[in-house]
Amino acid sequence: MPLYRYILRRIVFVIPLLIGITLAAFMIANLVPADPINANLPQSQLNNPEIVAAFRERWGLDRPLPEQYLTYLSNLLRGDFGTSIKTRQPIGADIARYLPATIELATYSLIVGVGFGVGLGLLSAVRRNSIWDFLARGLSLIGISVPVFLLALIGLSVLYVQLDLVAGPGRLDFTMSEPPFVTGLLTIDAALAGEWQVWQSAVAHLVLPSLVLGLYISGLISRVTRSSMLEVLSSDYLRTARSKGLAERPVVLRHAFRNALVPIITVIGLSYGSLLSGAVLTETIFAWPGIGRYMFRASTSQDFPAIMGVSLLIAFIYVLVNLGVDILYYFVDPRIRAA
Amino acid sequence: MKLKLIAASALALALTASAVYAQDERVLVVAHAESTDSLDPARGYTQTTGIIEQVTYETLVTFPVENAGEILPQLASDWTIAEDGLSYTFNLNTAATFWNGDPVTADDVVFSINRLKNIQGNPSFLAAGIESVTADDADTVTFTLAAVDPTFLTKLANPALSVLHAGLVRENGGSDAADAATSDMAESFLNGTSAGTGPYILEEWDPQVRTVLVRNEAYWGDAPYFDRIVIANVPDAATQYSLLQNGEADIALDLTANEIETASTNANLVVASTPGNIVHFLLMNRNPDIGGPMSNPLVQQAVRLSLDYPGYVELWGGITPATTMAFGLAGAFGSDRALTRDLDAARALLAEAGYPDGFDITLDYPIFTFQGVNMETNAQKIQADLAEVGINVTLNPAELQISLEGYRNGTQGFGYWFWGPDILDPNDQLAFLPGGKVATERAQWTEDMADSEILALRDQALVETDQDARLAVWAQIQEYMQQNGTFAAFLQPNVSTAFVAGLEGYVWHPQWLVDLAELSRAE
Repeated sequence: MPLYRYILRRIVFVIPLLIGITLAAFMIANLVPADPINANLPQSQLNNPEIVAAFRERWGLDRPLPEQYLTYLSNLLRGDFGTSIKTRQPIGADIARYLPATIELATYSLIVGVGFGVGLGLLSAVRRNSIWDFLARGLSLIGISVPVFLLALIGLSVLYVQLDLVAGPGRLDFTMSEPPFVTGLLTIDAALAGEWQVWQSAVAHLVLPSLVLGLYISGLISRVTRSSMLEVLSSDYLRTARSKGLAERPVVLRHAFRNALVPIITVIGLSYGSLLSGAVLTETIFAWPGIGRYMFRASTSQDFPAIMGVSLLIAFIYVLVNLGVDILYYFVDPRIRAA
Repeated sequence: MKLKLIAASALALALTASAVYAQDERVLVVAHAESTDSLDPARGYTQTTGIIEQVTYETLVTFPVENAGEILPQLASDWTIAEDGLSYTFNLNTAATFWNGDPVTADDVVFSINRLKNIQGNPSFLAAGIESVTADDADTVTFTLAAVDPTFLTKLANPALSVLHAGLVRENGGSDAADAATSDMAESFLNGTSAGTGPYILEEWDPQVRTVLVRNEAYWGDAPYFDRIVIANVPDAATQYSLLQNGEADIALDLTANEIETASTNANLVVASTPGNIVHFLLMNRNPDIGGPMSNPLVQQAVRLSLDYPGYVELWGGITPATTMAFGLAGAFGSDRALTRDLDAARALLAEAGYPDGFDITLDYPIFTFQGVNMETNAQKIQADLAEVGINVTLNPAELQISLEGYRNGTQGFGYWFWGPDILDPNDQLAFLPGGKVATERAQWTEDMADSEILALRDQALVETDQDARLAVWAQIQEYMQQNGTFAAFLQPNVSTAFVAGLEGYVWHPQWLVDLAELSRAE
């Protein structure tokens, strides 16, 4: 099957999925037994029925639920995500403001996580039952079992406060201005603007949160890498390759690793999806103005339009990541191309 | 080997990054959990807007630096109140200027007040009682009220009633017309800069990231110490503390009890604690169908006599309030007038009410920590305190918004909540008297069931404008509420702030939390 047909087929499946997600998000948001009026108007204004009625009318809360949902869908088709009750900004603009911070952190964390995870997984599979294997498995156990906020707090307290080895919270030094907005990724925007002091600060501030999130996802990646490699390493065709006199390095890297890749790519894709949908606790602890914190604020203030917008965004991110994973399968696994 | 290399290069990168704004500037970095979505004085109404507006804008009258016990002139040099108490005439201070050098005129005042009123934003209720505001001449302005309001001057001292440069705001889409709620377009302008007379000018607001204020070089009053103030938005208290420890922040405004305790042992930091103006209280519903035994006034008094008041102060610091009226408001009783625990009297009251063996009751409260006070901990202590007189409390914590719904609908029989005054005036307490918001809607203590004594006192408080007479009325109300109210106030916790040693001029204020323009660094 040619690549474009393969991609097209994947995209067609996505449309009903996205509609289903809007419906589910809408229902869940409205099932919560709390009124957005209480969350968004101060106590002193709840006395005033005029203000309360104006609020309901302005946000369409006075209309029946099916009508609210259909209006939302029709606006969505015109590319209008609606306006946030809390920030009074278009949701699209809010997402454009906060998503780049999350993308930047997620990408650097993924690099750290894949580097650690795949490296450790390979090492422990190849040196099975050696001291390296035990160390690697111990580290991956920490990544999987220690809550990420705890890793973040320990990292902050030891590496930032006690040892002063890394930069602290925030995306930049607080006394520094952001470079002109191009991509919203500070490491890229600062380089484009030639603001090297800002670039250094941006990179330095990425070190600790990327290490924390990277360590967190590397646990799962290294476990999957190890088990997938062990399975492949014991297969007949590798025994054949070895018996034909092939050196161990090409056996492991060219033959075994390539065949073990499909599950590894799957778990990397899922990890990236979860990092991109915003790590609320990590973003809070590192004062990282990303989409996770935006989502948290939206849900605690029953900001329905923002909740719906971010839910759709997260669904869309997963769809994109899955599509990317599928495309990688296409290249890695010749059986998919043949199907 | 490779791992070592990665670690070493990451380290090298981190060490090279220590860029600072401008070397010779005096910069104050404040770590604060930002809580607003607007810096437009007519729209934002939170602790964050209070802090920022206090130094970027000014009001006709204001409070002293350290409390809200007095009304002082600011943009107005003096004022007169008409015999009937309905109109107030202010003479403007002719020395006052905006940051661009323009003088403050009566037109600016009229525009700012009408804009606040008509925008129907969160703080607009403060101007709701103003029937009209007119410019008598360039330097004189008269307010006419719809009804006598003893709290008018207190409201006027709120940063939401700041005076804005009418011309500048109009040029940028501002409107004070009756339809300003839809026609005013100046919010984004005022989110990017300020149009006031204060010692600082808003230079940048990056929501969720930071707010930058620069010194107003044309300020008509005393120049503040710092050239620039950066308010870093740091939502997590532990993170705020780490910034303080590392010297990246000079002051952290939202630390919890844990960090404050650690900070007090750190030689490089100073901890300042003062009783705040938040009162934690129990609500006992007067409707027997909802409150059950708790609706009985004898039981309510028994509850008040069963609480181990010093225990709560020991947990969180602060003082025991005499009633729900926070100590510090004009005329409020101090902790010397607070109730003390008397278990025998409580048991006797329960027996008299028909519950000699106590009863079972559910306590509703939110899962919430406010200003470092964890409500769950207090709820457990309340449960233990009341068990000693046979009241078996089942705890029913719920997510804040969900519990708030029950509280606001008046469906909680026995609830644990806290209150911070909307207006720093004794009349704020009218909410806790029959007919008031909390008493009637939340606790169902209606005017029908209230006795004439408290209703007469309440009616006096509503219209009395003579300060001494007002305080006498409020003293009687507090005495009544201690014995017959439907609430049990048990804690007015400390507000604590930590800052780096050498930072001077910090004073906690009930209205604006901290006046950043008062801060300086020991040279």
